[in-house]
Amino acid sequence: MLDLMTADPAGELASAAPATKEELLARVAQGDQSAFGELYDQISPRVLGLVRRLLIDHAQSEEVTQEIFLEIWQSAARYEPTRGGASTWILTMAHRRAVDRIRSSQAGRDRDTKIGIRDLAVAYDHVAETVEVRIEHERVEKAMTRLTQLQRQAVSLAYYGGFSHSEVADMLHIPLGTVKTRLRDGLIRLRDELGVAS
Amino acid sequence: MSRGGHIDVEQNPADLAGAYALHALDEHDTATFEAHLAESARARIEAAELNDTAVALGLAVAPVQPSAALRANLMAMLTSTPQLAPLPAPSAADPARTDAAATVPGAAPVASPRATGAVPTTATTPSAGAAPADSAAPADSAAPADSAAPADSAAPADSAAPAAAAPISTTPTDPGAIRPAADIRSGDASVTHRSSSATERAQARWFKRPAQFLVAAAAAGALFVGGSLFGQALNDNQFASQQASGLAQINSADDSQRAATTTADGQEATLVWSNKLGISAVLVDNLPVLPSDQDYQLWYINGDGAAPAGTFDSSGDGTAWRVLDGTMHAGDQVGVTVEPTGGSDQPTTTPIVAFQS
Repeated sequence: MLDLMTADPAGELASAAPATKEELLARVAQGDQSAFGELYDQISPRVLGLVRRLLIDHAQSEEVTQEIFLEIWQSAARYEPTRGGASTWILTMAHRRAVDRIRSSQAGRDRDTKIGIRDLAVAYDHVAETVEVRIEHERVEKAMTRLTQLQRQAVSLAYYGGFSHSEVADMLHIPLGTVKTRLRDGLIRLRDELGVAS
Repeated sequence: MSRGGHIDVEQNPADLAGAYALHALDEHDTATFEAHLAESARARIEAAELNDTAVALGLAVAPVQPSAALRANLMAMLTSTPQLAPLPAPSAADPARTDAAATVPGAAPVASPRATGAVPTTATTPSAGAAPADSAAPADSAAPADSAAPADSAAPADSAAPAAAAPISTTPTDPGAIRPAADIRSGDASVTHRSSSATERAQARWFKRPAQFLVAAAAAGALFVGGSLFGQALNDNQFASQQASGLAQINSADDSQRAATTTADGQEATLVWSNKLGISAVLVDNLPVLPSDQDYQLWYINGDGAAPAGTFDSSGDGTAWRVLDGTMHAGDQVGVTVEPTGGSDQPTTTPIVAFQS
């Protein structure tokens, strides 16, 4: 059982043509490891970028990214294309995992005290590395300007900061109900500005 | 007190939609909102749209290239990481079932031979802790997801089904045939299809975070990869490491097989085994906690009767699992009963679950 395979299995299994993430996920669901590698190459910088945005610490962010990709491998069969694109599915999972890590670890709490609100103010100071990202970045940035400052603050703290709604309420010294309203109204405004509709 | 907006707002689950999409709710509010989602198609549409909106925020973040080591680690883990079957679709169910009938676990390694040679090394040295991610991964990945999962494990374990009713769905029928690994998964899928309760649960969970779909698999996959155990019965480090090593060996064996079913109370249960190695392990999701005077006990059952194969307990959520003591012989059944603490010489209760290897 420990004999190594000598042939390169990827060559006979993977098609040479570039595949969409959705196609790759479908192949991953069938146990196709080369498709997994391809999918990883396509989207792992997005995943790590987002996770590190929340966790700050690079090593921890790589750990969480690893968990996320194992989850992708395990649950690829549960991805339903009719419910949205592969990137949506993966980034939702990534954000969820990053938030879980923050909530579950002392590191998360230490992080809170270190970065505070100050760091979140520079949410959009990152230099986008690709045209695609820059376009998306500008689109989102523009949409964000359409929110009230209070909505923007609450949405940023929750999404980029990974703070819970009650933490956001504490930080902004506003009632929880107000935070809920701001988060919902803010996201609805963003949705309309970004033209997201199902 | 004023009957102004905010008070009403706090009582309206619909107003949690934004925080939900941003993963900013605690477990209680998440449950509240998901109950609301289950009842309202409109709320589901809004939730999907706001989720897409949140993803747009994520796509605006500058990408960061992961280290090469991360990719190498992941690729090495794939073979020993089980994959979930697709959620059953009505049209797909019958072909999958047909497939399963023809599937031959004995001939087709679940651990696909496409694996790289590095995998066995990774899988069988769980205590090496080579990747920093490993030690933290299992606990983190399992605990938060579990705690928010629906409390569907409320029924006590002792309301057991008759042993004869225990689903035995993956009996090998044609030891000569060779099937690709993908068909093994189809076989698992059909087992899932047989359990309407599992199916309904799975479908009801759509709006939960994806993590919850795979608590069991994540646990099974991650714990031996990292060697950081959260097997709930395992306190002793040496015992724990033997257990982890055993599970890793089973999963990396070239004749590794698995059978999935549900317990009498509907918890998802998996048997993994290797005939070549003569060992097996049982994994059960959300197995109910037993009173302190009871243990779960494992049995190898064959023509000679039932042989005790170790005891374990469960914390009630997450995946309880144990590698069985003793040697497994091809064709043995594996059963789980509830016994007095410390176990019995022979089963004294009806199995809560039984597998045909």
